[in-house]
Amino acid sequence: MKKILVIDDDQFFSKTLEAALPADKYILLSAEDGEIGLEKLKSEKPDLVILDLMMPKLDGTAFLKRLQESPDLPKVPVLVSSNLSSVKKISDVMTMGAVGYVIKSDESLQSIVQDIERVIGQETKKE
Amino acid sequence: MNIALFGGASLYMFFGLVVLVLITFVFYFYFSLKKREKEITKEREESTRRIYELAILKELGERVGYSLDVEEILQIITGSLRQFIDYTAVGYVVINPGKLKVNTHIEKSVSREFLSEMKSRMVASLSALTDKTYDLENIDEVLSGAIVIDEIKQNIGSLFNIPLVIDGEVVGVLTVAHVTSGLYKEADMTILYKITGQASEAVTRLQEVVKKEKGKLNAMVESMGDGVLMVDSEYRVVVANPAIKRIIKADVSKDVSIFDFIDILGGKFDIRGKLEESVSKKVSYVSERINIDEVFFEIGVYPVAHHLAKGGNQILGAVVVFHDISKDIELERVREEFTGMIVHELRSPLDGVKKIIELIVSGSVDTGSDKFKEYLNMAHQSSASMLELVNDILDLSKLQAGKFEVNKEKANIKEVIENRISFYKISADGRGVSLDLWAGENVPELLEFDPQAVKQILNNFLSNALKFTSKGGAILVSAFVYNPKEALPNLDRSKVSVFPEAADLKVKSPSLCVAVSDTGIGIPEDSIKDLFHTFKQAKLNPVDKEIKGTGLGLVIAKGIAEEHGGTVGVVAKEGVGSCFFFTIPL
Repeated sequence: MKKILVIDDDQFFSKTLEAALPADKYILLSAEDGEIGLEKLKSEKPDLVILDLMMPKLDGTAFLKRLQESPDLPKVPVLVSSNLSSVKKISDVMTMGAVGYVIKSDESLQSIVQDIERVIGQETKKE
Repeated sequence: MNIALFGGASLYMFFGLVVLVLITFVFYFYFSLKKREKEITKEREESTRRIYELAILKELGERVGYSLDVEEILQIITGSLRQFIDYTAVGYVVINPGKLKVNTHIEKSVSREFLSEMKSRMVASLSALTDKTYDLENIDEVLSGAIVIDEIKQNIGSLFNIPLVIDGEVVGVLTVAHVTSGLYKEADMTILYKITGQASEAVTRLQEVVKKEKGKLNAMVESMGDGVLMVDSEYRVVVANPAIKRIIKADVSKDVSIFDFIDILGGKFDIRGKLEESVSKKVSYVSERINIDEVFFEIGVYPVAHHLAKGGNQILGAVVVFHDISKDIELERVREEFTGMIVHELRSPLDGVKKIIELIVSGSVDTGSDKFKEYLNMAHQSSASMLELVNDILDLSKLQAGKFEVNKEKANIKEVIENRISFYKISADGRGVSLDLWAGENVPELLEFDPQAVKQILNNFLSNALKFTSKGGAILVSAFVYNPKEALPNLDRSKVSVFPEAADLKVKSPSLCVAVSDTGIGIPEDSIKDLFHTFKQAKLNPVDKEIKGTGLGLVIAKGIAEEHGGTVGVVAKEGVGSCFFFTIPL
């Protein structure tokens, strides 16, 4: 079982994603802002973080920055999923260590699930 | 015979007399004619001289009109002098910075001694007029005309000096000299005096105008917010206003050179290249945004041409204008951010609906299950919030285009408020927040306003109050009439404590005031000013994280109140509560 932490203030997204993910392979945890996300990252040690960008309190970009700057935080692959589609934003977060960028509204749940499986598969291979 | 003799002799005598008289007459006429002719010649000479005097004065007026150069004026005078004054040599001395300049034109060959005598008398005259001594050795000298022949022993016979005075100051001396003595009469000197007088008057006047215009121009350039730099055709700085000195971080009181600009602009803007291009090709150029430290500029380079009287242009240099566009860029950024937010706020719920439908279509959710119900509820919420946002955007664009229509009618404000309170009561009860109305006794039954539009304001104020008030808190809607000539009515302050004071209401005539007070988190002082601003949203953290806002509602509320001739406002105390209010004049 792989743990996936969804940090997104959009509750619908985590709920629909949970329904779309095969329940026998993944456990989905959710956090509604970056701060709670950081706490859950430390306490739950997930295998993958799905990170939204526009969020209250600590937003996605600040979350990535925190992750880069703090060596004591667990090194977890981060897949950014947002409705922000500016090229600059995408390249910004990619240089900040994200493993991928999903424009939520451009992709179906099924393709997001495939992205998740691909990233987790790669990480497993690395190990 | 005798008779005949007598008759013959007397006849001779008679004829002789007649001839004598005739001769006398002829002589008389001849001489008087001669005299008349002389007079006419003299008159003609006089009028020629006058015409010449007028012509030269006119010519001087015209030519001097285009020149402020003293030397040029003196050259014009000396050049046209020959036509009415006879001279061996004519010259002038002018005070140039550093040294004197003597320019002599020789009409008939003279000796070196003649010239040196003329020069020393010229300089002596200038020395006497200016009360200064000049070094005779250190003089720029120009000679023209006939050749110098030392063998000619004739020295100066006649000479006179005319000072050239400009703006009350002697700037030079004009000298006319002749080998013959006693030649120049009062009349000659008078006309030359007139000519130089006219010239100096014209120059003085012109200088005054130029000084005044220059003063205006300088004041304008000095006070300009944009940086202005002017260079001549050799790229020397002619004008650099304080703004441009501040831009390049130079001392405002010191002079700057083109190199200061080359240094500070570095590779960002090729100022030298653009200036060269501008001067040589007579073309203007405006740059893209260029940043100097944190400030953005648009740099324009424009050629400066002088339109010549005889046609054509003469390039004098170029002007560089640094226009600060930081504010435009900031506005652009805020707009982009706003558009980005709106797009995000629209996309998220729409995407939510899409994903929910995707799940349902895929058949992974049982239509009879609670999950299915939950998903349908989510889809409903999403579409509702989207619709609200779309309506807000439409209202906002109507307001901005001035097309938002307010349909005033006689309506009962208390009923309208009660209607909204009952609408929000369910959600307030759900959150454990009390929601009440307090209406002043002085509120009339019927008032002129648009009930739908006022409902929109109330929706916004009430939903905001609910967002930021936590469990156990209170929301109170107060409605009252405030007359600025009277005291504020006694409000019910038992459950909430934040209310607008008389000064906050800013009403000039008796007005209906509706205030929505809460016991929420309040608003930080520095965020208050952005609240009613179109593209800014105060960064607040609502109690309920599921509720987000675009901040458009407040802008729309402001628009609606203003369409009614009223105002909106807010007072807040951090940690105590906020109160949003609107006023409508009665």
